Amino acid sequence: MKACARFRPMIGHRPGELPAGDARELADHLAGCEACRAFAADVEATTGLVAEALLARAAQRDFAPFVDQVMARVEAARAPGVLGWLSARRRALVGLLVPALAALALIVYVLQQDGGTGAALVQVTAEGEATTVIETPDGPIVLLAPEEST
Amino acid sequence: MSLAPGRAAAAILGLTLALVPFAARAEVPVGVRVIKGSRHGPAQVDPRLSDLKRQLSPLAYVRWDQLSERKVVLVHGKTEFVELPGGDTVGVTLEEHRGNVVTLEVALTQRNTQSRVTVQKGQRIVHGVVPEKNGEAVFIVLTGWP
Repeated sequence: MKACARFRPMIGHRPGELPAGDARELADHLAGCEACRAFAADVEATTGLVAEALLARAAQRDFAPFVDQVMARVEAARAPGVLGWLSARRRALVGLLVPALAALALIVYVLQQDGGTGAALVQVTAEGEATTVIETPDGPIVLLAPEEST
Repeated sequence: MSLAPGRAAAAILGLTLALVPFAARAEVPVGVRVIKGSRHGPAQVDPRLSDLKRQLSPLAYVRWDQLSERKVVLVHGKTEFVELPGGDTVGVTLEEHRGNVVTLEVALTQRNTQSRVTVQKGQRIVHGVVPEKNGEAVFIVLTGWP
C-alpha cells in the first residue's frame, strides 16, 4: 500500500513526462498491483471521454469561410487609417507598452505572493472513506469516521 | 529628472526577471506533528501544542499529547511518509504550490483514503489519521513554512 501511495500520483501522466526510472518502476508496480491497474484504467477512460467530447465540439465548427474572412481582414489592413498611424509610431508605442506590461506582471506576482486578504481558503476533496471537515480560521480539521466497535 | 522609455523598460524587465527564480521555487518546507487526542483523563494540552489550542477547541477531546515532530521539505509530486503509532504510515504529497497557497495530498495507505487540502500560509491542517477507538484518536498537523 505504501508503494500505491507513491505511484498513484504518477498514473495518468503523458508518455515521456515521467523520468525513465520512475516510468519503469511504475510499469513494474502496475504489473503486480490490481488496485492501481483499476485506478489507471479509470483515469484513461476519463481522459478518453474528455478528448472525444472536445473533438466532437470542434467538429461542429464550420471552418469553410475562414480563409475568406482572413483575406478580407488583410485587405482592410492595407488601407491607410488608424493602423497606418499606429504603424508609423510603433517605436514610441513599444516604449510605453513594455514598461506598462512589466509593471502589470510585477503587480500580479506580488498579489500572488500575498495570497489574497488572509481570509480562510480551504478546499478539501477526499476519496475512499467518508470524512468530516471542520473549518477554523487557523486551518481545516479533517476527521475520519469513528472505527466500528467489534 | 526623467527616464527614457527604453531605459525604464529595461530596468523593469530586469527587476521582473530577477524575481522569476523566487516565483518558480517548487519546494515547500512543512512541519509535521503527530498528536493524540483523548476524551479521558484530566483536561490538559501538551505545552508544545499551545499554538493549536484554538484550532483544536471544536473537538471533543480534552487531553492532547504530541507524539512526534519533524520537518520535511516537500517537492512537487514526491511523497513523504510519516510513521504513525502502531506501524501505519501516512503519505504527504505536495500537489500544487502557488505563492502562499499550497495544496497537499494526505494519503492513508492502510485505509485507502486520500484527501487534498488547500490552505494558505499561516494555516495548519489537522488531519485524522487513526480513527477514534476507546476514546482516543490520532491526528497529524501539517504546517506550511513553519
